Amino acid sequence: MQLAWGPEEEAFRAELGRFLDEHAPPEARRKRDFTTADNRDDRIIPTWARDWQAALFDHGWMIPGYPPELGGRNATPVQTLIYMEELATRGIPRSVHFPGYAIVAPSLLEFGTDEQKRLVPAAIRGDTVWCIGMSEPNAGSDLASLSTRAVLDGDRFVVNGQKVWTSYAMIAGKCFCYVRTDRDVPKHKGISVLILDMATPGIDVRPLRNISGSTEFAEVFFTDVEVPRDNLVGALNDGWRITQGSLAHERGGLWVQGVSFVQQAVADLIEMAARRGLDRDPIVRRQLAAYYEQAQGLRALGYKGFSSFAQGSSAPEHSYLKLATSELQKSVFELGMELLGPLGAVTDAELGEQSGRFSHSFFMSFANTIAGGSAEIQRNIIAQRVLGLPRR
Amino acid sequence: MDFTLTDDQHLLRDTARNLLAKECPVALVRAHIDDRSAADPLWKHLAEWTELGDGPLVGLCLFLEETGAALAPGPFLVTTAMFAGLGIGPGPGTVALSPDVAPVMPFVLDADLVERVAFVLPGPVVAVCDRDGLYLRPVAALDPSRRLFEVPVPADTRGEPLDPAVLQAMLERTYVALAAEMLGTARRLFEMTLAYAKQREQFDHPIGSFQAIQHKLANMALVLERAWSAVYYAAMTIDAGDPERHRAAHVAKASAGEAAKLCAKDGIQIHGGIGFTWEHDLHLYIRRAYGDEHLLGTSAWHHDRLGDLLMPTAP
Ligand SMILES: Cc1cc2nc3c(=O)[nH]c(=O)nc-3n(C[C@H](O)[C@H](O)[C@H](O)COP(=O)(O)OP(=O)(O)OC[C@H]3O[C@@H](n4cnc5c(N)ncnc54)[C@H](O)[C@@H]3O)c2cc1C
Repeated sequence: MQLAWGPEEEAFRAELGRFLDEHAPPEARRKRDFTTADNRDDRIIPTWARDWQAALFDHGWMIPGYPPELGGRNATPVQTLIYMEELATRGIPRSVHFPGYAIVAPSLLEFGTDEQKRLVPAAIRGDTVWCIGMSEPNAGSDLASLSTRAVLDGDRFVVNGQKVWTSYAMIAGKCFCYVRTDRDVPKHKGISVLILDMATPGIDVRPLRNISGSTEFAEVFFTDVEVPRDNLVGALNDGWRITQGSLAHERGGLWVQGVSFVQQAVADLIEMAARRGLDRDPIVRRQLAAYYEQAQGLRALGYKGFSSFAQGSSAPEHSYLKLATSELQKSVFELGMELLGPLGAVTDAELGEQSGRFSHSFFMSFANTIAGGSAEIQRNIIAQRVLGLPRR
Repeated sequence: MDFTLTDDQHLLRDTARNLLAKECPVALVRAHIDDRSAADPLWKHLAEWTELGDGPLVGLCLFLEETGAALAPGPFLVTTAMFAGLGIGPGPGTVALSPDVAPVMPFVLDADLVERVAFVLPGPVVAVCDRDGLYLRPVAALDPSRRLFEVPVPADTRGEPLDPAVLQAMLERTYVALAAEMLGTARRLFEMTLAYAKQREQFDHPIGSFQAIQHKLANMALVLERAWSAVYYAAMTIDAGDPERHRAAHVAKASAGEAAKLCAKDGIQIHGGIGFTWEHDLHLYIRRAYGDEHLLGTSAWHHDRLGDLLMPTAP
């Protein structure tokens, strides 16, 4: 056990720090939360964010663990963690749309044909915006029951069906789409993945406003959409495997962002409490300290999980962290609203010193215990896969 | 930042585990309720390990996790964490903390098996007395695996000045050391409960296949993992003299307290009626969990102290 990072790691951090000092655009600095009220940008991906992602790629700082041609510098897992830590502490995002670099790129590198792998650099650099078509009206947590159909007809598939909650679909160039290719086998065994060009005739994207009023996801309808057979990722009917892998390079450090975000929120709350004289209230003090304690415990747990990850062991800490961080975020933001008293539910920028910041973050935080495996699903995973309790 | 155990640390943990499995079965803990001398032979074994108190706190914590899991009675904790932390010469010893110095422990822990008692009195000053000749009044408590005493300060006691920084460091390392014992107790509660959930059947299925039970166990595992990490993080900051250590010590004790309480409450819930019997060992661990929660500051007290560090304005 050891507390400090070694000198080589600190040198890596310093090098990253110099790059960030020099290149990070002002809009990216202290942008703690892309969903906060001060960032209600009509364009989902502002120009500065596109430029910034490209700059990170070109300098080998987009996915440090990848080689230079993929926007990295062959960094070690520890260096990658330090990278995540440093960006998170400075509140600097890499990108405002994660599907391309975080999900599609690693999946194509692992399962794609050589032709498909050529799509990877643009996915990481952000030149191509990707969306992920998994969820459907009747397939959420139970993803394997998806029913969007793709029928093979000569050298093309014909796709019919519907996706929902598809983030970035209205601006995406491509979709990484899960489809049913065999209805006569158990549900996990008849799923395949297709790459869809969003400009293909028969694709109808209908934006959905989310809880904050902005439109970041959409419904996507497919009517006789023709997809070249070459766009099949991996083997036919082997799509379930692709849901399981991805992001091997970064998995050990992905928690950093969530934990830093919640720690920053606690720090903001303490600052706000002091400004409003609420830090003299013993109940407020105790509650803030309790959240600080939980967040600090999660940070330590993240490092513990990373330690086994870096040694090549699989680390169940990932599920613990996803679950606990998403739930703690909700509690912290709710306390922020509470501390604002009558102003807690006011979003008028002229009135509230925080202009609805906490209420907005609170509402947005509902997503984190739902998307990407709900809190209940995380508990099922912990109980069944980590603790070995029997399924029913 | 590395949380993996070195080979030596693995060895230490395994040694402690084996020693306690052999010398401190739960039958001994039970026997000790009625006859306190039942645990005397255990103390002879543990006394051989007290020099862990002079080494890194991480190593001590690994050992204490196992004494906590075994509910080991005796003055191992006070000697290695508290007494050794004052740097006042050889133990075994315990510490009598005046409530005016730190209002966390109005009683003296395990005073009967030690040779020396260090009275920490306002000033702060410290006076080390031979245990022989002191009046010890046993205090009945929820947790029979620990021994609490009232020990009046002898009339003519005069102390030596105690560096407040040493006192603070002793308290902080003691919070973390106790938290490590609590991790062991909580872990054992969790393990017993998990095993029971897999084995006990109702409605033709193991109760561990019911989602309400699964989610409780998932929550227990989570808080336990979080507390483990917080405790060893704190121990590492103390060993490194890192400025984070003051906060980390409070985080550790509060976090271990929350874990121990949850594992106690949901542990008995998942056991059903059998857990409510004197016969079943579960209550011994629950008693220890709550006894420790109230020893050296409750979780709420540590949250309040943490709050003082985070928000310097006094309430
Ligand atoms: C902001 C946001 C962005 C998203 N982006 C995308 C995207 O880009 N692409 C995409 O494909 N999807 C996306 N999703 C969809 C997301 O993956 C689903 O919402 C999620 O999988 C849950 O599915 P559901 O909404 O159908 O809820 P359901 O699965 O119907 O769940 C409803 C409730 O039932 C509970 N539940 C379900 N099954 C169980 C069980 N076995 N045990 C206990 N409880 C259970 C859930 O925990 C939840 O509380 C997004 C969602 C959000 C909120």
